[in-house]
Amino acid sequence: MNEGKASWKLLVMAAMLPILVLVAIDVSMGGGFVDEDFKRFGNALLTSYVVMGLLLMGNLFFYADSRHRPLAPFVGMFLAIAVGVIITWALISNDDLLLEANSGMRSQVLSNIVHLLVSGAAMLLAALLAIGTTFAAITGRSKMVLFEEEE
Amino acid sequence: MDEMWAAAFWFWIPLMLIPIGLYGYLRDSNRKSGLVLALFALILVMVSPWTVPSSDSTAGGHLLLSILGPSALMAYGLYGMVFGGNVPVGRLDSSARWSGSIATVVAIVLMAMMHWGSFTPIWRGDVNPYWIVFWPTFLMFSTSLCALASLALVGFGSERLSESLNLAGLSVVMAGIALTAMFFDGSNTSAEEFRGHLWLAAADIFGTLAGVGASIATFAIVIWSYESNLPTPPTTDAPTDEEVKHVVAIAKSHIGGEE
Repeated sequence: MNEGKASWKLLVMAAMLPILVLVAIDVSMGGGFVDEDFKRFGNALLTSYVVMGLLLMGNLFFYADSRHRPLAPFVGMFLAIAVGVIITWALISNDDLLLEANSGMRSQVLSNIVHLLVSGAAMLLAALLAIGTTFAAITGRSKMVLFEEEE
Repeated sequence: MDEMWAAAFWFWIPLMLIPIGLYGYLRDSNRKSGLVLALFALILVMVSPWTVPSSDSTAGGHLLLSILGPSALMAYGLYGMVFGGNVPVGRLDSSARWSGSIATVVAIVLMAMMHWGSFTPIWRGDVNPYWIVFWPTFLMFSTSLCALASLALVGFGSERLSESLNLAGLSVVMAGIALTAMFFDGSNTSAEEFRGHLWLAAADIFGTLAGVGASIATFAIVIWSYESNLPTPPTTDAPTDEEVKHVVAIAKSHIGGEE
């Protein structure tokens, strides 16, 4: 049990470490965390929450044939997404907390969606590369004989 | 047509139609029409810089079109690398492994040339603003995922050290490309600009993962609370003697044979 937990911690570390190293090198070159980075984090979080919520709500609608499309989880998910939309609206319109280099609320929201489309494409392509290379490495090894009877 | 309606018609509606088409594709009933709808909508999004040039959002479509070639080449290369190896089903010729490796390397080189060479995506006479979003995010996330996969292979697999080292090597190569971009100017973007966007890319990655995680957790809570409030189904009555006799007769009719 403990070994399993330690493994998961190591995996999280392995995933985080390269990003932290690159960022640390940037800090050593005079770079640093600025307000725009926080705004980007907040916008990415809220936009991905709402868009993913909409996709999961679509999932509820399209794949609930066998359960006769119950209304309750649909309404529950709709309310959860509505909370995300209200928080987004509040943080963008009040004190410009999440307003980046855009003229207003509508242009910021549209820009967030396109930004998510692009960064999502980058992350999907990176995942394709990592997963594909992992499977290529696994299938690249010659077949192992596990039992003598196999021969 | 009003600019706003033109953008809605040629960019935003096709963008919304992509997931709807994919839902259709994943359903058993109308797979082909769903795939056709998703592909058609994706093409409309990618050609939006020409159909609705006044909209700023079309820079996203332009970038997707720009990276389509290297992405397709990478997908083809990885497919060849995986299925050219030791797989029980759908195995390709062993040469597919080599051609796949070359295709994957060429895809990464093409992307690097989009930064340092003359292939930089140009939109409205300047560098596409989303290119400097895509490139550091791709480099950072692939570095991170390859390191994760490397450790997972050696941690959970048996005798996977050499495969793990290959993946660690790829992670170092991707980190090396990112470091090179941090130190040396690209053809259209400076090293300083790239370093500035590195932070934004990290914020993008962590923000997107946190948002997706929160959404999935919310979905799980909604489904769990609905299912836990459902009434327990009524228990059925025990079988009658007649029903038991019928089942035994069926079972007996299937017992026999040579063994």
